[in-house]
Amino acid sequence: MGRYVIRRLLQALLTLFITLFLLHYLTALSVQIRGNPALLFFGGERTPDPAMLAQVERLYGLDNNCYERPGDPCLVPFVERLQNYAAGDFGTTLQGNRDVGELLSIYIPNTLRLFIFSTITLVVLAMLLGTWAARHRGGLIDHTVRGTTILIDSIPVFLILLAYVYIMAVPLTNWARDIWGTESFMGQLFRPNYNPDYPWTTIIIPGIIVGTVGLATLTRLVRASQLENIGSDFVRTARAKGLKKSRITVVHVVRNSMIPIVTGVGYTFAFALSGAVLTEGVMGIPGMGRMIFQAVQRQETNLVIVGLTVTAVVVVLVTLVVDLLYAVLDPRIRYD
Amino acid sequence: MAENVRVVGDTLPGADLNAPLLEVDDLRVEFRVRGKRIPAVRGASFTLERGRTLAVVGESGSGKSVTSQAIMGILDTPPGYVTGGEVRLHGVDLLKQGEETRRTVRGNHIAIVFQDALSALNPLWSVGFQIGELYRVHRGTSRADARKRAIELLDLVGIPDAKNRVGHYPHQFSGGMRQRVMIAMALALDPEVLIADEPTTALDVTVQAQIMRLLKQIQDDRHMGLILITHDLGVVADVADEVAVMYAGEVVERASIHDAFKRPAHPYTKALLRAIPRVDTVGRELEVIPGLPPNPASLPSGCPFHPRCWAADPEKCSTEAPPYEEVAEDHRALCHFAKEVYRDER
Repeated sequence: MGRYVIRRLLQALLTLFITLFLLHYLTALSVQIRGNPALLFFGGERTPDPAMLAQVERLYGLDNNCYERPGDPCLVPFVERLQNYAAGDFGTTLQGNRDVGELLSIYIPNTLRLFIFSTITLVVLAMLLGTWAARHRGGLIDHTVRGTTILIDSIPVFLILLAYVYIMAVPLTNWARDIWGTESFMGQLFRPNYNPDYPWTTIIIPGIIVGTVGLATLTRLVRASQLENIGSDFVRTARAKGLKKSRITVVHVVRNSMIPIVTGVGYTFAFALSGAVLTEGVMGIPGMGRMIFQAVQRQETNLVIVGLTVTAVVVVLVTLVVDLLYAVLDPRIRYD
Repeated sequence: MAENVRVVGDTLPGADLNAPLLEVDDLRVEFRVRGKRIPAVRGASFTLERGRTLAVVGESGSGKSVTSQAIMGILDTPPGYVTGGEVRLHGVDLLKQGEETRRTVRGNHIAIVFQDALSALNPLWSVGFQIGELYRVHRGTSRADARKRAIELLDLVGIPDAKNRVGHYPHQFSGGMRQRVMIAMALALDPEVLIADEPTTALDVTVQAQIMRLLKQIQDDRHMGLILITHDLGVVADVADEVAVMYAGEVVERASIHDAFKRPAHPYTKALLRAIPRVDTVGRELEVIPGLPPNPASLPSGCPFHPRCWAADPEKCSTEAPPYEEVAEDHRALCHFAKEVYRDER
């Protein structure tokens, strides 16, 4: 077990390092080819005083000569940036000169909340529906579950969001407000947009909606891997032992089908960020997805790099957790 | 195992201890696949008494494993359906019982050892958990006590260092040791009937002998009825008391092991016996039964064995289904010429 964990940890660190370097190299290339983003500081149209430009370049770490040589990997600024990150310094934005670390402390928790709700929704729904369909294989329930999930999954998530915001949110909010009042859990739950005073409550509904992305895939995965185990020899043994059907499902089928499911969940989690861009946009949630989208539009190089770094860290972490869960679930992996 | 003694009537209402331990009477099983009905067992009958060993012998596809699954009530339905007959345990027809009673019978009264212990054990749970599960589910034993019982059982079936091995997982055991774990699991609740479905097929020869000895010894100690399902008559010779030979879903011959080996009354049994490799026939070509086992979806007319039979009458055997002929006391064969074959006249 110990060796397995250490090996996975080292792999995760290496992956992260390579990702960060590629990210750095791509942005360096874009500066080298497209020109100096420091000009943006001056509004982009006027030609600034060279002394002032140099000062601004120093401020944003663009003062290295390597940025003028296309193809140069710019290792010195890369190492400097990593050192700054390690010290907790994420730099500032070009426009407004805001501390990026401070922005992150607002955006990251919001996106995490969104992910928590969407992951819970996805896993719970897929597990229940998949198990249900597997137990009634070939029957009406099986076909209904598969049909419905694929229907839900085929509707683009922004469409569900817009339908919710424009059709359901207002009447539901009014109804809840009349019964429980505005300053209550129910009064806030159905709001069509984010409210910073209720950061948890107002993210539940968007989280549930994002949670339907990938529902069909995961439900099918659950169903397929359970069917595989239901037909297995050890389930026949469990029946021969006189165990109840419910115990066979929980003890001998569900746990054995968890490995492909855990993989699927990790995969969807990594994908959820793209869903977050849309959801955070439509529901007005200040989160990472919206931040990265706007940073790209406004050519905020530093903000883009920081945002993508955070994303990379999250994806690597989730993959690591998935790998460790494998070992927890399957003794054959634990004792390799 | 004093605490294992219990009143049979508690878990099996209506049980009559004077009735035979297990009687299978005209059991019929069919598989329904895409509207077609394929017979797998076509009226199998045999009786098992306490302390006796019945060998059920047959080629693959002869219906012997399906019979054992039907007795246990663990047939996959669909596609398998029991369509007739009775399975009486202490005189109680199990096929007429509700699912809850049948579930209690499994493990408590009848237990089974499967062929391939690697796939028959759940890879994700320790062997101790899988054995202890029986006590916890059927007896409500605590987790710690169930573990203690599991250690005792592992010890009983000859697994060295049982105390440490109890927490190990199936993949950490060798093939023979895994089969011992399976046996320990089957013995947990001290069943009266143990079905061993090809228990040694997946093992190498020396380990096979060890496992057979273990089964025999446990059976003697506990006075269980043992049904030994196998395709290997050689394995059967030393351990079985009676034998039921199955062919195409029917029991074609029933006899004591001695009679079956000495004077078989069915041409198929005779052919099987000739096909056993023996030390005194070294150097001679091994006899085989010509042809293949019939496809249960399209059985030959008349006697299903006639196309492969060396004693068949081309007219009679291909048109008339053979009757059960009693050739001697407790020795019956399903053949038109059973008496002639028995007397070695055909």
